[in-house]
Amino acid sequence: MSNYFYDMIPAEELAQLHYLPTVPEYLDWITTKWADRPALSDTVNTFTYKEMASRIARRRTLYKEAGLQPGDNVAIFEKNSIDAVESFLAVTSAGLVAVMLPAQLPAPAVIGCCAKFRAKALIVRDEFRAAVEGAPCPKIASSAFGEAETPAAKVDKDAPAAIFFTGGTTGAPKGAILPHRALMRGAYNGVFAPGSQLFGHVTIGFLPLTHVFGLIAGTLAKLMVGALWYPAEDMKATIGKLPQIRPTVLVLVPGLVEVLVGLTKMYGPQFLGGRLKTIIAGAANVPAKLIEEFEKFGTHVLAGYGMTEGANLTSGNAESAERPTSVGKVYPEQEVKLVDGEIWFRGDNVFLGYYGDPEQTAATLTPDGWLKTGDLGRFDEDGYLYIVGRIKNLIVLPNGENVSPESIEEPFYQCPALRDCLVKEVEDGGQPVLAVEILPRAEAFEGKTPAEIEAFFKQLTEQVNAKLPTTHRISKVVIRTEDFKRTGSMKVSRKDN
Amino acid sequence: MTQEYIYAKLQGILAQIKPKMDPAKVSMDASLTTDLAIDSLSTLLLSLAIEHEFNIVFESQQPFQTVREVVEYIQQHVKE
Repeated sequence: MSNYFYDMIPAEELAQLHYLPTVPEYLDWITTKWADRPALSDTVNTFTYKEMASRIARRRTLYKEAGLQPGDNVAIFEKNSIDAVESFLAVTSAGLVAVMLPAQLPAPAVIGCCAKFRAKALIVRDEFRAAVEGAPCPKIASSAFGEAETPAAKVDKDAPAAIFFTGGTTGAPKGAILPHRALMRGAYNGVFAPGSQLFGHVTIGFLPLTHVFGLIAGTLAKLMVGALWYPAEDMKATIGKLPQIRPTVLVLVPGLVEVLVGLTKMYGPQFLGGRLKTIIAGAANVPAKLIEEFEKFGTHVLAGYGMTEGANLTSGNAESAERPTSVGKVYPEQEVKLVDGEIWFRGDNVFLGYYGDPEQTAATLTPDGWLKTGDLGRFDEDGYLYIVGRIKNLIVLPNGENVSPESIEEPFYQCPALRDCLVKEVEDGGQPVLAVEILPRAEAFEGKTPAEIEAFFKQLTEQVNAKLPTTHRISKVVIRTEDFKRTGSMKVSRKDN
Repeated sequence: MTQEYIYAKLQGILAQIKPKMDPAKVSMDASLTTDLAIDSLSTLLLSLAIEHEFNIVFESQQPFQTVREVVEYIQQHVKE
């Protein structure tokens, strides 16, 4: 058992925390323990935990009246909102399975997903409803409530609770089925952060609830510790309200961290409310520069590592400022091992499989419960984990040797004049060679000619090459003038570039 | 509020968002994308800074091309 995370929290606070393995148990616990505290607010309406419990119980009544049975799949198509959080908790505490449809999905895809996942109902935001009337199941307004309250169901910790889309960077999207125990373990892991109080936080749901990072780390973990949660239905409008909301902790992607650090540099920490102590950043590489810049304003940016199939957080780094390239230590109650360099996990947080895809499931999950992450990792002598690359991205060199493009890209990312880069194999004069495509930071090259920019990065490439084995060296440098094609979470897509 | 005042203030904001940019490039006819290299993250930052400095709210995603269009929008929406 790791004490790394437990030691971040005073013992008397840790003793108040409980890992409860199902959503109904979790919901009952948080709404009893934090009953009169404010839970959800959109700055106009605020609901306490007790009020939230009642509203969720009245939503369950609607589902019962619609004839939904435990185990049925129910799609949710909403923006980040109070209705979305309550609908998710109502569906999962009724023993139903929430199929989380991203708000940006076009209507035909929503209709297709309802068929593919055999949804028995579609819970839908009022403004989206007209476009998805063709979905082959009954629609329930996400703003609607039943009259009476219906108690939560009794569910097994291994029963499916939710289905999330995953697989954006390398393959076709798949539906990862997470059981109750995985959601709850992810939520429990998400509460640990050093140098900050455990209870009484104020936070904002900036990241989509249809992504495990936004839902589990950004929402369920925060409600577990009695936080007040605001939805960011509109990104810019919500940032404008930061001085009023005054968050103490935020869960963000690096791009948003960059915007917030820019605002802090211009207008001071008060622009973000003046009491933001912790940012948990993930879903993409977190540049060390962002961590250092926020540290100057007393805000710790903590990088973690996770994936949908592992209910998001599997490791966290409390010392991002000291070890910015590490993803930290593995969370408690998980086993981890490296198999031929690949990171394997086992524990409550591991998913059940991909919906309707036994082949992919068998390729990812071993019969004895190990999750094969597809990521190549290494541990340092102090037990900190580093991600070296993705197995699927390995390039087989002409000599038969495997090289991870990420391991070559990493030293390029130390250069602050580079926004993003991609290493790949290309044909050059009929020979396969390694090439790097570089997207410069435009502001670093004001007034410079394309030839000067190219010369700068050729020199950088030579410096990187000097430290690489001869077979891993880059022979071709391509400077991009247009952005890379990116995935939904703003990562550079290896598939599409 | 005169266009000259708004323009000067906007130059100040841009100098903070893009500290390495040559201030001489921020002419009224400069293109936000090709001349000033304002990408999507910088757009979010710039619009938040303008809203804060001028106490206005952009109604939706405005398809601004040039500095002049931004200055004119601010002049039309700012409350004296």
